[in-house]
Amino acid sequence: MRIFMTLLTDSVRLLRARVLFWVTLWISVLAALLYSSIGFDETGYSLAFGLVHFNDQSVVRGSLGAEILYLKDFSDYFVGIWLSWLAVGLAIFSSASIFPDFMSEGSIGIPLSKPVSRLTLFLCKYVGSLLFVVLQVTLFCLIVLVAMRVRIGFWNPSVFWAVPLVTLMYSYIYSVVVLVSVKTRSVLAAVLAGFFVWFLAFGAHYVEEGFYWATRTQELSLFTDSGHHPKTDNGHSSAASSEEDTDWKRWHDYSEIAVAAMPKTSETTQLMDRLMTVKGPQMSGSLVAAQTGQYGDLGEVVKKIKTRHSPFYIIGTSLGFEAVMLALAAWIFCRRDY
Amino acid sequence: MSAAVSIEYLRKIYGGGFEALTGISLEVPQGCVFGLLGPNGAGKSTLIKSLLTILRPTECRGQMLGQPIGHRATLSRVGYLPEHAKFPEYLTGAQVIEFTAGLSKVPVAKAKKRTSELLERVGMAAWADKKIGTYSKGMKQRIGLAQALVNDPDLVFLDEPTDGVDPEGRIEIRKLIEAMRDEGKTVFVNSHLLAEVEQVADEVVILARGRIIERGKVSDLTRRGLHYEVKIQGPVPPALRDKFIAAGFKVAGDRIDIEATDVSVVQPVLDALRAEQLMIREVKEARLSLEDLFLSAVKLNETKTAGV
Repeated sequence: MRIFMTLLTDSVRLLRARVLFWVTLWISVLAALLYSSIGFDETGYSLAFGLVHFNDQSVVRGSLGAEILYLKDFSDYFVGIWLSWLAVGLAIFSSASIFPDFMSEGSIGIPLSKPVSRLTLFLCKYVGSLLFVVLQVTLFCLIVLVAMRVRIGFWNPSVFWAVPLVTLMYSYIYSVVVLVSVKTRSVLAAVLAGFFVWFLAFGAHYVEEGFYWATRTQELSLFTDSGHHPKTDNGHSSAASSEEDTDWKRWHDYSEIAVAAMPKTSETTQLMDRLMTVKGPQMSGSLVAAQTGQYGDLGEVVKKIKTRHSPFYIIGTSLGFEAVMLALAAWIFCRRDY
Repeated sequence: MSAAVSIEYLRKIYGGGFEALTGISLEVPQGCVFGLLGPNGAGKSTLIKSLLTILRPTECRGQMLGQPIGHRATLSRVGYLPEHAKFPEYLTGAQVIEFTAGLSKVPVAKAKKRTSELLERVGMAAWADKKIGTYSKGMKQRIGLAQALVNDPDLVFLDEPTDGVDPEGRIEIRKLIEAMRDEGKTVFVNSHLLAEVEQVADEVVILARGRIIERGKVSDLTRRGLHYEVKIQGPVPPALRDKFIAAGFKVAGDRIDIEATDVSVVQPVLDALRAEQLMIREVKEARLSLEDLFLSAVKLNETKTAGV
């Protein structure tokens, strides 16, 4: 415990010394303030603390629409874009040099000559590096929590799901950065590898989702409300459409296999929609249920697409990827001569 | 006296096939200052790093502080100042020492107390809360020494401890090493500054190309070249000169070199000079310096290696 606390304290000191950490933190605070500037009244909603007003009866103060809009903005834009892309990108830039610096000649000798195993050193350093994101997202969520209380009238602690989800997502990519930096001791190579895997995972996810979307919408057009095949003009079922559906399904199966071993960066942060709860007087449930419930069959398809993978699968397979990266990095770290 | 470090066999071959240590054996007595000398690439750092588990020896048998080399828990009784020590610039001097204390599992309260004491001891108390980035090289080296002692170790490895330190600082470091020895600690010093090692070390080994080419107590090693120099006013007269040369002494101008370990051998020479009413300017006992010894040992080893 003493060793863990020593390395954790060192990680906090390291973060405090990084300019990029403070820059990101201040941008996070500004983004959270921007979020809290969205307000609702009896006629619609406003931005920038009332400077810009939009009349919209579906999102008036106290309505389910207002609550969903507010939560959706948080999930889609502030978690989905700011925290998941920009803040994580800056975090990768800022923390990519942690391992190469730690392993440099003159630095690594003292920790390695102490009664602490190399694996413990490696893991503590890794966990400490995740603090960059944990601290940023926690502060952001705290401001958002207060903003929600003020804007929609109740505390919604489910916003804090963003902390583990964004940290997990960052950790998948950071594990690649660590592996490459431990192997090459090059910050540039590590950053490039991290971004490459990130974009690859992002692209693969959208290809897989696209195939799945095609499969589901095809299904929707093939089935009537009663569950029977719609008939064509000559009274026969659409064999061509059925074949096309099978094609989409086959492609989706292939893509599913391909992405299974990859980190699910987008899907992990999109779990926010499923874990964040709507707590208003009109309904209580997940954000995704509240959103899709309004759109009948199409809503059901969207819900199916969004929930096609279980959280266990999304996080489990991604952590599997991360575990492999970290195991390789730890093996290199523990075996090498310094 | 029992051994602080007892290496039965230590061999290290690096990935590319380079044999840095060829299978050395070594004993370092407890409570002494032990000097490790050798030219660049001799294997000095490899030896220290092998003992401290910083690198993995190809083959290693031996004990350190009564436990097998590589026994992790034993490292809590060891201090280390690496060559070209690089401390994080975002830490203060005090934080660097506390960081090492934490890794050595020194309790927090004790670590704080030791940190204050050591900062005083190395003359850095006034700079304790300043960032390492603002320190000179010599100041960093003092902090490095302090962190090496924070766990009150029984065995301390100092790799080039006076690197970048001014002459005054070197004297202080030498006193610090002597104080460590007086406290019963074993100090392992690796330095290029042979005169310094000679002043402080009790025993030395000289490494070259991964082998130990010379070892022993400094006093014994330097005694090997023990001789006496006698200088007179003016040149030695030819008659006396021939007599001295015949007796096996070296004569050059006004100087007579007498190779002997006993000063009684010098007395007949002085008697002969006085009998000729010659003025004796100086009588000096001279030894080989560690530097002379080092250079001759390395040169001899190179000649042998070339011969092989």
